[in-house]
Amino acid sequence: MSYAIETDGLSKSYGEVRAVESVNLRVGPGEIYGFLGLNGAGKTTTIRALLGMIRPNAGSVKVLGQAVGPNGRGPWRKVGHLVERPAAYPELTARENLDVARRLQGIPDVGATSRVIEHLGLAAYADRKAGALSTGNLQRLGLARALLHEPELLILDEPASGLDPAGVVEIRELLASLAQEKGVTVFMSSHILTEVEGHATRIGIIHQGRLIEELEAEQLERLQSRRLEIKARDLDTARTTLAEAGFAVQVREDVLVLDESRAIDAPDEVATILVNAGTPPSRLAVVQENLEDHFMRLTRERE
Amino acid sequence: MRAFLAAFWAEALKARRSKVSLFTAIGFLILPLVGGLFMIILKDPERARAMGLISVKAQLFTAGVADWPTYFDILLQGMAIGGTIVFALITAWVFGREFADHTVKELLAIPTPRGIIVGAKFVLIALWTLGLVLFIFVIGLGIGVAVDIPSWSPALGWTSFRFLMTTAFLTIMLMPFVALFASAGRGYLPPLGWAILTLVLAQIAGILGWGDWFPWSVPVLLSGMAGPRAEQVGMHSYIVVLLTSIAGIAATFAWWRSADQAR
Repeated sequence: MSYAIETDGLSKSYGEVRAVESVNLRVGPGEIYGFLGLNGAGKTTTIRALLGMIRPNAGSVKVLGQAVGPNGRGPWRKVGHLVERPAAYPELTARENLDVARRLQGIPDVGATSRVIEHLGLAAYADRKAGALSTGNLQRLGLARALLHEPELLILDEPASGLDPAGVVEIRELLASLAQEKGVTVFMSSHILTEVEGHATRIGIIHQGRLIEELEAEQLERLQSRRLEIKARDLDTARTTLAEAGFAVQVREDVLVLDESRAIDAPDEVATILVNAGTPPSRLAVVQENLEDHFMRLTRERE
Repeated sequence: MRAFLAAFWAEALKARRSKVSLFTAIGFLILPLVGGLFMIILKDPERARAMGLISVKAQLFTAGVADWPTYFDILLQGMAIGGTIVFALITAWVFGREFADHTVKELLAIPTPRGIIVGAKFVLIALWTLGLVLFIFVIGLGIGVAVDIPSWSPALGWTSFRFLMTTAFLTIMLMPFVALFASAGRGYLPPLGWAILTLVLAQIAGILGWGDWFPWSVPVLLSGMAGPRAEQVGMHSYIVVLLTSIAGIAATFAWWRSADQAR
């Protein structure tokens, strides 16, 4: 299979600091790959290596089947990118910034600039100097630059950073539609898990420079364990009652937790048992671990 | 070629939109204006003194003669010193701004090769600085005519023009190292620090008598700032400047090609 992104043993150190260590990534065409990690986990270093901006100490990087670097070699005509905080020439307008990018991308079609301005909702700010744009609009400008040449692969570092909630949803939908309708591969890093949860087809978790887990969307679904959480005024009696009824009860702080499927699938029966024993629940809820919980658990385990 | 033209267009647009082009032109304009002022003072010291102008310093600087050769000397010597500073400012801005504004990352993973972008920047710097020198020369002539300086001859004008352009060209050839410091230093301070350091070292080398072998002294020597030692400037001096220029250009290209862009 030919991958859109392929790294083998990618490692990068800065002096004594190991920014990324032995990262093996495989991102297939048309995937939306969510690359998750805490600040300083190695996300941006990995992205810079994918874009040939830094030279790995070890390992190799292939993008769209072509080896990346040295000397900035790569299939950049087919790759759009956004690295870290958005930057633009402050004395140029948004349109001029995009025109500079268009020419450097070698796109002869002058209309490409106007199209991407419309697409990213920048029309009202197109003739405003980039130095006067808000962080959110600067981010949109960065995304517009990444999309200007209709790339096959988008490598985006925190694409929703600086956007308002409506903007986050808009960009999420835009990326999803690019992947679904045009088969664009999206590799996006984030430390905001909800940003990738729900629309990423695969998720990689990087921690302290190492790729510690990769999850398919379905796998994530399975991994996200459900549990029944119970609160009662007399927690001890409730625990004893449930234990006598044959449940394996865990106590977490002031909450009773049941993770057996017979409890999760029939919380009404659990409630009946407690009511009959004279200790009705004050709270009864089926809780599902989300990506954030999973991520936190995983990274904490590796501390 | 198309890639180069695109890169050059982008660099030219950035320069046109920037206030740096205006500031450097205004900064350089001081040179013919001050030269013209000295001429006014020297032509009629009594009147200048009556106007409150300090004629003593003007006489010290120009040996007290108000004529075209003296006026051109002022332009030439001002060019040698001021040029180093103004050209270094332009070079530091053209390269350093990509790092100060964090826009360098938009120039790395694109179809236009990095070497083309660096080349376009160097060409822009050369055209910009030479344009400035021409502008100053033309303005200088205009001021000279307006002040009605005596002893003009077309031959003198031509010789002065050639000297001015040669000095400017030699100064420009020393800019690649400024570009390298702007790139490797990721901003404005390292290249400007380097320019000031070379300016000081150039004076010291000139005083010690090694100026003809020290590339940063050669334009200063040629401009006559170092007096009779200017005669030492020969082919070896031009070769030293050329080699320095080539080394600076090669180092800047190499840095852009292979240095980690981790910030």
